[in-house]
Amino acid sequence: MSAEFLAAGPSVVPARRRLSGSGSAALAVVVALWIVAAFSPLFSARAAEIRLGERLQAPSAAHPLGTDDLGRDLLARIVVATPVSLGIGLTAAAVSLFVGFTVGGLAGYFGGAVDLLLSRLIEVVLCFPVLFLLLALAAFLPPTPLTVILAIGLTTWPGDARYARAEVLKVKDLDYTRAARAAGASTGRVLWRHLLPSVLPPLIVSAAFGVAWAILAEAALSFLGVGLPATTPSWGGILGVATSYVEEAWWLALFPGLALFLTVAAYNLLAEGLRAGASERGRT
Amino acid sequence: MASDGGAARQRAQSVTRYALARLALAVPTLAGILILVFLLLHLAPGSPVSAMGGESGRRVSARAAEEMRKQYGLDRPLPERFGAWVGRVARLDLGTSFVDRQPVSLRIRQALPYTLLLNGLALLLTLAIAIPLGVAAGGRPDGPLDRISAPVLFALYSLPTFWAALLLQTLFSVRLGWLPLCCVASDTAPGGLAGVGDRLAHLALPVTCLTYGSLAFFARLVRSGVVEARRQEFVLAARARGASPRRALWAHAFRNALLPLITVLGLILPALLSGSVIVEKIFAWPGLGRLYFDSILARDYPVVLGLSLLGAVATLLVTLAADLAYAMADPRVRDGTEAR
Repeated sequence: MSAEFLAAGPSVVPARRRLSGSGSAALAVVVALWIVAAFSPLFSARAAEIRLGERLQAPSAAHPLGTDDLGRDLLARIVVATPVSLGIGLTAAAVSLFVGFTVGGLAGYFGGAVDLLLSRLIEVVLCFPVLFLLLALAAFLPPTPLTVILAIGLTTWPGDARYARAEVLKVKDLDYTRAARAAGASTGRVLWRHLLPSVLPPLIVSAAFGVAWAILAEAALSFLGVGLPATTPSWGGILGVATSYVEEAWWLALFPGLALFLTVAAYNLLAEGLRAGASERGRT
Repeated sequence: MASDGGAARQRAQSVTRYALARLALAVPTLAGILILVFLLLHLAPGSPVSAMGGESGRRVSARAAEEMRKQYGLDRPLPERFGAWVGRVARLDLGTSFVDRQPVSLRIRQALPYTLLLNGLALLLTLAIAIPLGVAAGGRPDGPLDRISAPVLFALYSLPTFWAALLLQTLFSVRLGWLPLCCVASDTAPGGLAGVGDRLAHLALPVTCLTYGSLAFFARLVRSGVVEARRQEFVLAARARGASPRRALWAHAFRNALLPLITVLGLILPALLSGSVIVEKIFAWPGLGRLYFDSILARDYPVVLGLSLLGAVATLLVTLAADLAYAMADPRVRDGTEAR
């Protein structure tokens, strides 16, 4: 038992994670994006200003990234859409992680019939194409940010659940878990206060990929016209409008997509860095 | 010789035992899929069925409502309705589309070949590039090819499909005028060989969009599998026996890197269908993805649920086949000596 405990030690004891060079760069980009998001209210007036006389103007000194189909400044619209994307990405990934850890954690912790049942549930949801479920939820519920968050979170949790189940299986019979149980801790307490902290580091890697995916999913929904309402500026929504002006306005397609690509790549790279750090720590 | 026969029989027995256990697990999953789709059919807000009793959110013609009432037997209890519905589904009767009153199965059959063509080509192209690239990059980790391909693949992995599609359309269709903007073929498509060329030109952009994302995923997977396998003793042993580096890489390391590929190919189906929705919508490609999207917008529930059911059941079957193939290839899985 003790040898097993020692062998599992490094992955269980939370230690300082080290990020690789590219991981640090990605972290810097993510921080920069959040700073842009924090200052975005300064641009909201400009982003909402409709000037039909200046519609579909190419980038110029007055409009560095051009204007959209209603003559609104594209740069201001992209900036104002930043907190929307980042916020939805983060909260949707959190919803997914919460549901995933609850279902996967319970399955791993109890094992037996509970595991068999919950694992079938995970498998059932995994069998449906994510975008099928996502579109159905998003289209049949009223178009609000909350709906989009719930739709993304409630369709992506099975991945997190599988991960959480495997991680909980690794630590559920370790001495400190047994000690907590012996001391009379309730199941909920053991799961949330003792097991969650030790499975959190690997889950955070999965959550960082989850944020990237959620940002992409929100953009895809808004692009397809079933995500955020047209009144809420979003990168996906602007790209959706751009499809009608492929021949006239290349800037409408280029810049919002660039912002989206940069954000998704930064979160993915950050997740890679965290994963590399975690596996390095596990090996030593 | 006799012991060889015994080993073969033992192997066949363990494969059969694993297959039966795996099949037994698939039955409740199939039941779960059926129950989920059935409940969605009855609980979806605004669906004709759920809206019948009370205030309706969506307008449905009296004829459609009557048809639904008959089809789903709303006067009968839920379990009985479920049983009758499963019976019809088993006979591939998925109901009638609200939009054109055609059977759902017919609409699916009409769209299926287009999606198979698009995704089949994309998958072939993906594997044709990803496998050599992954093996070459993994054969010399941190070599020049690995150093160049890693960031490129990473960028492709993070590139949103719909954005890439927009840019490709802007560049190749609008600016350069080399490739068509959308659709399956030109209105005035010539016959014969020129017609085939026209078809291929229309396939080029959508296939590219479906390929690049999974390319990054597969190439990275093959690469890490090869890197992992190269460290194993059997590759060193092969080299020691005099196998060339090339042979050690392809015949020994790559063969073992193939194993995780089997599992992933089983899981790729739902991802392909998801990707199809976006790409088929942008390029006006009349496949399953576009049918699904159009049906969502039109609130055509029978088609939406029929397609969901089809996608989920197909995924279940492919995953099952992949797991069985994996068990045939890797005895550790079926004997349970190594947790996957």
